[in-house]
Amino acid sequence: MALMPKRVKYRKHMRGKNKGTASQRNYVAFGEFGLQALEPHWITGRQIEAGRVAATHFLKREGKVYIRVFPDHSYTSKPLEVRMGKGKAEVEGWVAVVKPGSMLFEIGGVEEEVAKEALLRVAHKMPVKCRFVTRRHTLG
Amino acid sequence: MSETVALKASVREQAGTRNSVRLREQGQIPAVVYGHQKEALSISLNAHDFIENLHHGHRLFDVDIDGTKDTMLVKDLQYDYLGKSVIHVDLMRVNLSERVTVEVMIELRGTAAGTHEGGIVEEIMNSIEVECAVRDIPENIQLNIKDLGLNEVMHAGQIELPEGFVLVTDPDAVVVSCHETKAPVVVEEAEVEVEGAEEAAEPEVITEKKETESSE
Repeated sequence: MALMPKRVKYRKHMRGKNKGTASQRNYVAFGEFGLQALEPHWITGRQIEAGRVAATHFLKREGKVYIRVFPDHSYTSKPLEVRMGKGKAEVEGWVAVVKPGSMLFEIGGVEEEVAKEALLRVAHKMPVKCRFVTRRHTLG
Repeated sequence: MSETVALKASVREQAGTRNSVRLREQGQIPAVVYGHQKEALSISLNAHDFIENLHHGHRLFDVDIDGTKDTMLVKDLQYDYLGKSVIHVDLMRVNLSERVTVEVMIELRGTAAGTHEGGIVEEIMNSIEVECAVRDIPENIQLNIKDLGLNEVMHAGQIELPEGFVLVTDPDAVVVSCHETKAPVVVEEAEVEVEGAEEAAEPEVITEKKETESSE
């Protein structure tokens, strides 16, 4: 099932602008290796789920996968053959607003080569260019 | 790591974002120096020299600021949004004999016994804070996890520290754990269960008016 919030204050959101770079959540925090977005984009709950499935299927019983983004922004779309106007359309899905530098997924408890292959498979499911990163050495 | 490395620096007359960007374009890194109850000073370092030494594990520098030499410890680093390049450095004036609190990396050694029983090792903390003399600051502290069994954890207090070191981190903090992984079959079952409800699922709206209120 695609990710979405359990409770929201308002159902429909304004689209907003996706400018700038990530100043938060742009480092490997939980695992040892991570997948970092290099472009701004909306990542849907289904894409995140597809990434998670790709990683867990590859890793099987090994390692732990952390999802660092959550689709908390709704988007709407009008049905086919409907005239413009008559108010904002119904919610079509939920997306995570991602900026360059945002950490998308993290993996821990496996070798670097395994994590690299797993995150490469995840990267194929993402609508953005990504890069593989390792947890930063303290002060290094 | 106790060795100090000589670095040359110059005082920054102009502060601010634009000037810092210009400095970085010229191969310099903006930095700040503080400590020993002296006034904080804005300086610029040669980026190539500093980064090269940093990657070799050096944290102590003999910085020559326009003729004045001081021993300094790298206290903090700021990175760009991708975490690739250093954009700012915090340097603290120190004496080699004084004691300081620093963050030191933990290096896990050996294979945990629990991994042979199907467990995975999860490194919860990759560094600990210790108090030690400046000249004794290690590059990393080794932690042997050979005896870590399945569903067991190791705490910060269990790390063997060299003589003269004091642990600052909470001794009860979990550093590394070995636990079982969830079988992938369970994940598949859960997926099948909720797939049908995908379309119908909608989040609860907190501000939505209830039907009884609207009818009134």
